[in-house]
Amino acid sequence: MSLDTFIATRQPEWSELEAAINQARRGRLRSTSATQLERFGMLLRHASSDLAIARRDYPDAQVTEYLNSLCSRANPLLYRGSPMRISAVPEFFATGLPRAFRAAWPYILASCALLLLGFIGGWLAVVLRPDLRDSLVPHSLFDELARGGHPTVPDAPFAAAFIIQNNIRVALICFGFGVLWGIVPALVMLSNGWMLGTIAAAVHEGGYDVRFWALIVPHGVIELSIIVIAGGTGLMLGDAVLRPGLQRRGDALGAAARSAVALAVGAAMLLVIAGTMEAYVSPSGLPDAAKLAVGGTAAVLLYSWLLLAGRRRTVAPEHEPRSWTALSGLPGEVPT
Amino acid sequence: MLRVAGPSTPDTVRVQTAENVSIGFTTAGLGSRVVAQLIDNVIALPLAYIAAFAYSALAVSASSGQSVTIVAGGALFALFFVYFGYFLVCEVVTGGRTPGKAAMGLRVVRLDGSAPDFVALLIRNVVRVLDVALFAAGIGVVIMFFHPLSRRLGDIAASTIVVRERSRVTLATAAAAPPLITRAPDAGPAVEGIERLGSTEYNALRTFLTRAGLAPELRARLAADIAARMLERLAVAPSAPERFWPPELLLERLYLQLDQRLR
Repeated sequence: MSLDTFIATRQPEWSELEAAINQARRGRLRSTSATQLERFGMLLRHASSDLAIARRDYPDAQVTEYLNSLCSRANPLLYRGSPMRISAVPEFFATGLPRAFRAAWPYILASCALLLLGFIGGWLAVVLRPDLRDSLVPHSLFDELARGGHPTVPDAPFAAAFIIQNNIRVALICFGFGVLWGIVPALVMLSNGWMLGTIAAAVHEGGYDVRFWALIVPHGVIELSIIVIAGGTGLMLGDAVLRPGLQRRGDALGAAARSAVALAVGAAMLLVIAGTMEAYVSPSGLPDAAKLAVGGTAAVLLYSWLLLAGRRRTVAPEHEPRSWTALSGLPGEVPT
Repeated sequence: MLRVAGPSTPDTVRVQTAENVSIGFTTAGLGSRVVAQLIDNVIALPLAYIAAFAYSALAVSASSGQSVTIVAGGALFALFFVYFGYFLVCEVVTGGRTPGKAAMGLRVVRLDGSAPDFVALLIRNVVRVLDVALFAAGIGVVIMFFHPLSRRLGDIAASTIVVRERSRVTLATAAAAPPLITRAPDAGPAVEGIERLGSTEYNALRTFLTRAGLAPELRARLAADIAARMLERLAVAPSAPERFWPPELLLERLYLQLDQRLR
């Protein structure tokens, strides 16, 4: 077929496809009826086959470039991932987030270990080098505790906002900077543990343990858990870059990011709860026992949700009695 | 001069589509992406500063005795939140093009040529924190400079690329003018050895014959040159009549005969 005949016979469909592309608004084929959509798919398939023919027969002709540009504009309009729906949010928190948490357990455990390492390091630093305690422990907090009072409480709503933003920033930085071999999230975990360790050791020496932990525990259980999770997501990305396995580094990173981002965003949202408790409950005048109880309840709720929600029951094979899995004590979760 | 389409340009990524045809996406270069980012900054930074000042004003007026650290911290967060939120919201709403990208004719697509979903856009915009951090210019720019497809870390983590959507070629320019046949009233007698010529020669002849605005003597010289090569490929006898046709007539007749055969 000569080039002119090719163009002349195929041109009407190309123009139609071009018109359909121009109708798309905001990168989507909105206000397109089902039959039009079907027609669009057919036009794209025809244009693609024309592109293949043009590449073979007229590789240097302008029409080949035109068809390529036509197809490359039409392709993302027809092919796309599943859209994000607001109605999917409750389900994400009910099952998606706990499942992602359990799937990421090695990284969360590693993140927790780093925090503990920092904590022990900080504790030992204060115990072994009492001469350095003044520079290791924030002064104001220690003085306040020593005098038996509460640290100064600014207006609770703004304190909550400050704490929440600080934590969310840390969580998102843990995720984003995890790409660089996970160094930054590891350092964040170590430094958080170190800070807590030095203060805890100093408070312990002063004998204000209950008062101190009553100040930390109500919000700290949730907050530290979430920071550990956020650190875990960063370690996940770093691990994918360091040990991509059989995949290319970029592909491994992409896969890890896809499974870690849900956890990171979920964690950032939970930090809103933790920050509110930190501003309202922790510095409040409640008795220490009540504060510790609040923290304990929060911990039980958080971990029963993260560890138990969204588990799938194992479907027993047909020929075996249903109670078999329950009796044998096998884990009930189907590996995903 | 022939312009080479698609495959041989270095900044093209070939994507195998569901139709089993590979489409070439032209990746956006460092330059256009930096300009797009600057345009976005012109919009996003004022918004972010307004949000930060609004937060500070609210915090200061709502209560007395605010700690400076707390107000400043909140305001700083409002700044960052609005700045990074701008990119995420714009890309989600428009299917992968912020106003800056739209102005430069760029769009975010996934590596398989499909439109990015919410998760991909979320990842590339969270990692943006890292891409614009560390240096004034940002580590993302350094990595884009070295990456063959000009991807920043956020693109790699989200499996996306930024491609150019504008094309110089429209249907009107692609449907090129038909060749100018001035000398040959018809295809003329069949040229000996015409079966030796194929689509390569046909395309070369077509390119020559569609060239308008060539000075007559220049056109004659070019025609003589091409005719000599064609005669060589045809391997016509030294005494054959084709050798004595005027070069331009020979080329036109060859084209018409090839056109009939290939049609």
